[in-house]
Amino acid sequence: MITEKELQFVREALALARQAGAQKARATLSKSEEDLVATLDGEVDRVTHCADRSLSLALFVDGRFGSYSTNKLERTALEGFIRRAVAATRMVAGDPCRDLPDPARCCRDAVTGDELGLVDPSRDTLTPADRQQVALDASVFAASFRGSQPPGEAAAVSTAQAKTENTDYQIISEEGEYSDSIYETVVMDTNGLCCAHSETSFDYGVEITVESDGEKYSGYWWEASSHRSELDAAACGRAALARAVAQIGSEPAPSGRYTAVIDAEMASKMVSPLLRALSGYSIQQNNSFLMDSLGQQRFPEGLTILDVPRIPGQTCSKYFDSEGVATAEAPIIERGVVREYFINTYMAHKMGMAPTIEDATRPKVLPWPEAGLDRDAILRRCGSGILVTDFNGGNSNPVTGDFSYGIEGYLFEEGRIVRPVSGMLMTGNFLELWSRLVAAGDDARPCQTKLVPTLAFAEVDFSG
Amino acid sequence: MNNCERFGVTEEQLRALVAEGLRDGGDWCDLYFEDTSYHDLLLRDGVVGSGGYHVDFGCGIRVLKGEKTGYAYAESTDFPSLKSAARAAGSIAGALAIPAPLHGSSGLQTSGSAGPLPQPSASGPSLLRGRGWPRSADPTADSAAPGIASRNYYPERLAWEDAEIAAFVPFLQRIESGIRARDSRVLKVVAILSYSVSDIMMYNSLGELTADHRPLGSLSVQVIFRQGDRTENNTVSRSLRMGAEMISDEVLEDLVSRAVAGMDARFEARRPKGGQMPVVMGAGASGILLHEAMGHAFEADFNRKGQSIFSDRMGQRICRPGINILDDGTLPASRGAINVDDEGVPGQKTYMVTDGILTSYLHDRISAGFYGVAPTGNGRRESFRYNPIPRMRATYMESGPDGTCEDLVASVRKGIYVDQFANGQVKIGEGDFTFFVKSGFLIENGRLTMPVKDINIIGNGPQALADIQAVAGDLKVDEGTWTCGKEQSVAVSCGIPSVLIGNLTVGGE
Repeated sequence: MITEKELQFVREALALARQAGAQKARATLSKSEEDLVATLDGEVDRVTHCADRSLSLALFVDGRFGSYSTNKLERTALEGFIRRAVAATRMVAGDPCRDLPDPARCCRDAVTGDELGLVDPSRDTLTPADRQQVALDASVFAASFRGSQPPGEAAAVSTAQAKTENTDYQIISEEGEYSDSIYETVVMDTNGLCCAHSETSFDYGVEITVESDGEKYSGYWWEASSHRSELDAAACGRAALARAVAQIGSEPAPSGRYTAVIDAEMASKMVSPLLRALSGYSIQQNNSFLMDSLGQQRFPEGLTILDVPRIPGQTCSKYFDSEGVATAEAPIIERGVVREYFINTYMAHKMGMAPTIEDATRPKVLPWPEAGLDRDAILRRCGSGILVTDFNGGNSNPVTGDFSYGIEGYLFEEGRIVRPVSGMLMTGNFLELWSRLVAAGDDARPCQTKLVPTLAFAEVDFSG
Repeated sequence: MNNCERFGVTEEQLRALVAEGLRDGGDWCDLYFEDTSYHDLLLRDGVVGSGGYHVDFGCGIRVLKGEKTGYAYAESTDFPSLKSAARAAGSIAGALAIPAPLHGSSGLQTSGSAGPLPQPSASGPSLLRGRGWPRSADPTADSAAPGIASRNYYPERLAWEDAEIAAFVPFLQRIESGIRARDSRVLKVVAILSYSVSDIMMYNSLGELTADHRPLGSLSVQVIFRQGDRTENNTVSRSLRMGAEMISDEVLEDLVSRAVAGMDARFEARRPKGGQMPVVMGAGASGILLHEAMGHAFEADFNRKGQSIFSDRMGQRICRPGINILDDGTLPASRGAINVDDEGVPGQKTYMVTDGILTSYLHDRISAGFYGVAPTGNGRRESFRYNPIPRMRATYMESGPDGTCEDLVASVRKGIYVDQFANGQVKIGEGDFTFFVKSGFLIENGRLTMPVKDINIIGNGPQALADIQAVAGDLKVDEGTWTCGKEQSVAVSCGIPSVLIGNLTVGGE
């Protein structure tokens, strides 16, 4: 937890900023600690221990603005740092739009930092040996050597793909990484703001490379939770192996238009560009394909995205943004109508609009056309097409919404996977893509920041 | 102030820290001290109304036991904090006693036949052999050993620390006014100057004490254009590892001219019909092909772990004779230049492909020890918070014998020409790489015709290399703000002469 001594340190930093000539200031103290154990082929390969602390300052000096940070936190160094920061701020031009947020909009209910229940105190009891054991126990490679679980069975456990059991392959390498961490931050400003957030995280990710007929195939999987008991690290190895094996023999499908089903693991890639296009910075700079969209029906009725930032116990929930403005549940896109731009204090003044929040904290795509659909149900509903399970590069144009991504996944027919595909490209425009929304599932992964389920779109261009 | 004074330690303490790190049985220990300041100035809506700087200070301590790594860092360089970090890093040696050893058995198989796990070279790894680098008796010699230099590759006539920040404000304003003067369609301009200065000190268990002073300046400009009811954008950048003298009329003119170049074509551009076709890659930024298609696959950590598609190709022909591909830390002022890498190994030029034959991976000290070769100066890291791993520097192909870019275009009946890129990616095991094309043209009957933009191109590394059909004589190393994101972010650059690749998959309608 943030200590009283640390709170006092932040107060002193604000006082020093005022003494040096700043009329207003915001100070953010962040600290984190992480322990990590990486494994290679079932052996410990790397252990790291990290501990960080840094102070960030936003300074408002004579109508000018600057942002600064340092990890030299000794009193003498800090005094010099703040004096130089105030002097540097005076070098830039004045900008009347810069200001602290209205105190009435700021968060008042994040006092201890643990109001959301995201801190697992059991992290304090973990020993280096505990961490190594978690990492080693999760290894499919190690498990197979110890004879506890035949790899053929392991590969079949968590995959919908049917081809894993009778395929010749050899595991070339397995790289696993277990980590646990605690991140804490406190934000104060000269208007009296004081809010704190603390969160532990327990993470495991693994990449497995297999070889079959001289070709290599890799699969990756990860899980994360703010609570140790909710992390199922061993399941990751099985899933990663299944994903690698299921790609054996993949090749491009013929170029053409297909129904695209985007697996929930990857589906946030279809939503992130929309959220970026709704940012005040993008709108103000005309760098958005969603200009003049507030209150407009730009998407089909099937698309509703809510921001749900305050759900207790859920990773990435948070009571405030980086300005200290309180988060709240709010529709971003409601039945296809754009309901919110993300406008911080600065952009509100520049754009002459009411401020909202600087970004979506935990956006959630609601199920459509019915609740309860998972990936398999959506495949059955769609009949045939390409199931995308991974992206390989690509990008989108923020101004036009045009996109082009490398993909791999599976060709499916009659609702069932037929064969793996890779080396293909999925190309289109986000507004057109979303206008052809077929279904949004109910299977978002809670470990992800954005709660985006499996999505299906009709008539998408694939090149192979 | 000497470097020990800068970081508040004595040489005796450095030796004590190494001893502490090795206390549990580690066989290598190195210390990486860093004092970095980052500065930035931002012009938006005609006003340089935002600036800032950021200080990052600390020391990373690494202990190796064989190829295993223990790593910890301290943000304070007082001796107790450093000693605690050394002890945490040194625990890797103890950690290895916990699990039962698995190597030595045959590799895992299912119903197929088992094969061996990746093994070191025939001569076998030794603890320090390969981690050291060949040194000349005269450390100031220009060529201490082939490919190894001890020069300063970062010109710095005016140190960033000595430059007046206020003088940079009118420079950013001139960039905007210059752009607006050349194209009436300009709607918005954002210009950002960022620069950093890092002072680095390294010490290791061989007793080598190395220091480096690293300036890096970057300018990036984003322009939004409006023509009728259509909007387009363009982003250009220039990044150089040099002092504040980079703030010059030459750089300004370069950025301004490139920011408005090609916008007529951009407004006309359409998506091509997708599919497989020949691709002519223009000189310069097309070096992203080398970075993604082969550079990562040649980084020795991927090969040591058997993951790379090139893991068993050393000494084999991978592309046609006459093609030379290298990774170079010795290009003065290049974003990829390094006097020494982040393990204290001198910056050098490494030929990965010589006359079409794979001749070297890119090594840090771990992989060099594993393969029994000298490190190639590719051990790099984002900051003291990260352990070094094999990373590229400036990766490029030497000029070839096949004429000009126009000659290559003229040889294609139907294909695509590309010259500006946003980003790329590769899957190491499969070798499938992609890069995102910001602009290019269709090639029809040997001529550039319809402009194209915003398409991804995908290929397979070994197949693409083997399919390079022509190399022009116009090598250009790009000076854009390229950052490689393999686990950590490091500054790199890339280059290439114009090349013709017989067949890649182009995204389209």
